Amino acid sequence: MLTKKKVRITLLLIFGVLILLNIIASKFFVRLDFTEDKRYSLSDATKNILKNLHDPITVTAYFSENLPPNIAQVRQDFRDLLVEYANKSGNMIVYEFVNPNETQESEIKAQQAGIRPIMINVRERDQIKQQRAYLGTVVQMGDKQEVIPFIQPGAAMEYDLSTTIKKLTVKNKPWIGFLTGNGEPSINEMPQLKEQLDILYNIDSVKIKADSTIPEKFKTLVIISPKDSLTEGQFTVLDNFLARGGNILVAYSAVDANMSTAMGNQVKSNFGDWLKKKGIEVDKNFLIDANCSTVMVKQQQGMFIFQTPVKFPYLPVINSFAKNPITEGLESVMLIFASPLKFNSLDTSIKITPIAFSSKKSGTEKPPVYFNAARSWSSADFTMGSLPVAAIAEGKLAGNKNSKLVVIGSGQFIINGSGQNAQQLEPDNVNFVSNAIDWLSDDTGLVQLRTKGVTARPIDPSLEDSTKTLLKYLNFLIPIFLVIGYGIFRYQMNLKKKNKLISENYV
Amino acid sequence: MRQVLVITKRELNAFFDSLIAYILIIVFLGISGFFTWLYGSDIFFTGQASLQPFFSIAYWTLFFFIPAITMRMIAEEKKTGTIELLLTKSVTDWQVVLGKFFATLLLIIITLAFTLPYYITVWSIGPIDHGAVWCGYLGMIFMSMALVSIGLFASSITNNQIVSFLLSLFIGVFFIIIFDVLSNNFTGSFGQLLSYLSLSTHYDSISRGVIDTKDLIYFLSITLGGLILTESILSRRNIVE
Repeated sequence: MLTKKKVRITLLLIFGVLILLNIIASKFFVRLDFTEDKRYSLSDATKNILKNLHDPITVTAYFSENLPPNIAQVRQDFRDLLVEYANKSGNMIVYEFVNPNETQESEIKAQQAGIRPIMINVRERDQIKQQRAYLGTVVQMGDKQEVIPFIQPGAAMEYDLSTTIKKLTVKNKPWIGFLTGNGEPSINEMPQLKEQLDILYNIDSVKIKADSTIPEKFKTLVIISPKDSLTEGQFTVLDNFLARGGNILVAYSAVDANMSTAMGNQVKSNFGDWLKKKGIEVDKNFLIDANCSTVMVKQQQGMFIFQTPVKFPYLPVINSFAKNPITEGLESVMLIFASPLKFNSLDTSIKITPIAFSSKKSGTEKPPVYFNAARSWSSADFTMGSLPVAAIAEGKLAGNKNSKLVVIGSGQFIINGSGQNAQQLEPDNVNFVSNAIDWLSDDTGLVQLRTKGVTARPIDPSLEDSTKTLLKYLNFLIPIFLVIGYGIFRYQMNLKKKNKLISENYV
Repeated sequence: MRQVLVITKRELNAFFDSLIAYILIIVFLGISGFFTWLYGSDIFFTGQASLQPFFSIAYWTLFFFIPAITMRMIAEEKKTGTIELLLTKSVTDWQVVLGKFFATLLLIIITLAFTLPYYITVWSIGPIDHGAVWCGYLGMIFMSMALVSIGLFASSITNNQIVSFLLSLFIGVFFIIIFDVLSNNFTGSFGQLLSYLSLSTHYDSISRGVIDTKDLIYFLSITLGGLILTESILSRRNIVE
């Protein structure tokens, strides 16, 4: 017998169970990460860092409560992340959450620790109110502490936390020298690179004179875009550095552009000659690539001035990399006025491997070049196929000790510049150079973390516009025609069946 | 189970023998395809080898597409009286509800299968993340399950198809938009609750490529809730005062 009461009780019970189930599920859950790069799981680099912890680390998270759900989600995600960190580190990581908005003292404490408040809009009693919110954390180990002033949601969270922990735990940071004094930019003109290197290394600039030596503490020397020539004595110093097992990274292009005259010329530096002796020749031509970045060009139409992006093949975008620890996870590096590399090593004890290439539609142009943004490019301009733009050389580069050399055929691509002209670089540009320095210094611990969360999955840039249009309309129309086709087919079949049924000799 | 299968098969056949199903599918594919390939933030505009543009537009097209399919499922049978005929057969109310549910779900899965050329095309022109794509399709199927059960419930309480369509949109709009919008204006645990109830939170979570038991339980709960309500509405005729 079914009565109203019975139905009501059953419904109430079932919905009670469902709600309870949801509450339980929101506290205890399992996550399966199906993304190809495991973007939402801890990377091996993090696991390694956590496994090698010897001293306990305290994470104090200053997170405001009572925030709109989209921001409160960051707090929840961060808590989930910390739970996982604590598990993976064998409880070496201890964490606590503090609500700085609770009392005035805790707010002052948070600000003194270096946490920066953000202003958010909260709706309260039909009014939009501004509220200070804190989303930062302090990481402590012993008497050392590091601050993450603002936690960014997403994959950046893991990067921030892991690098901060790494920063605290690294003992005796190795020294990296930046060569100056021959027209190279100062370290301060490369803030993005500096920030990343600061985690693992001490950085200092190095000037070399003939008959001097590079201080013993430097294991790796970085030479970015030397504009002036070096003396023979200076080259001998570099050779001696290699001979004692030092490693060198060179980012050098044999060509340069002067944007005020819109002219491109050869660089008046003899640095290329030294590299040539090591078996890597930096070609004295501009690399041009159909797969390139754009520049903004002002166009006047009547009274109006428009800014239109125009493809500029002198800014090649590199998507093709050889498998190598340096290029792991890199997706697109944008070079600026680059030169292709050539290899001519006669010495069999030196192993040279190209690691990055331009696209299949590339070419070179001999300086001097006049840059004409209005020039229309066709495939006839790109006749050379893919050209190497970066290479590594290992072996007895000078003397009898093994050493390593990385050469990248562009110097500008890692320089932010200073003052008003400073520009933001592509994240992979910085990743490329820091990975190379890690490889040279035998520390590839952060490589995986660095390129994690870079989500660019570019569509093949060599697609012709006509192919694109074809693909667009094919994809738009094919499913529709398939459905119509099936409908007609089914209609015909039904008609046949019907005809058979009404035909006389059925039965 | 056999009875469920029989009903599913019959319903599915009836769909494909009616013109209205083709019109609906073509409208769904047309709108989804238009915004995935030709206009707005389409695939070539974003320049990324990802089906995300399709998943975000399908979130909206499914919201309209599903009530349009489910509106006649029970309402029409009630109007023409065939529901009495069906229920006097040796099938339980549950088997009828489940049969109709699976038939609609299968129709949606078949419709989604017609978008596989999108996947193959993007696969051929760029480094697509296969895991994320399959999770996106899975997310769409889970969302469809929830919307179908809401649609069936709406269809069971009235014998007018238009009322059923509007009612199902009305309930759906809470899960699709209203909870989401409201949750951004409230703080604390009430905001959390609204955000949890919002379908988009869970759909986004799956379609980025992560399968979380939280989201599965959420979708299954709504589906089950809707189906149970539908069944109890159908069984109302057996109630003894």
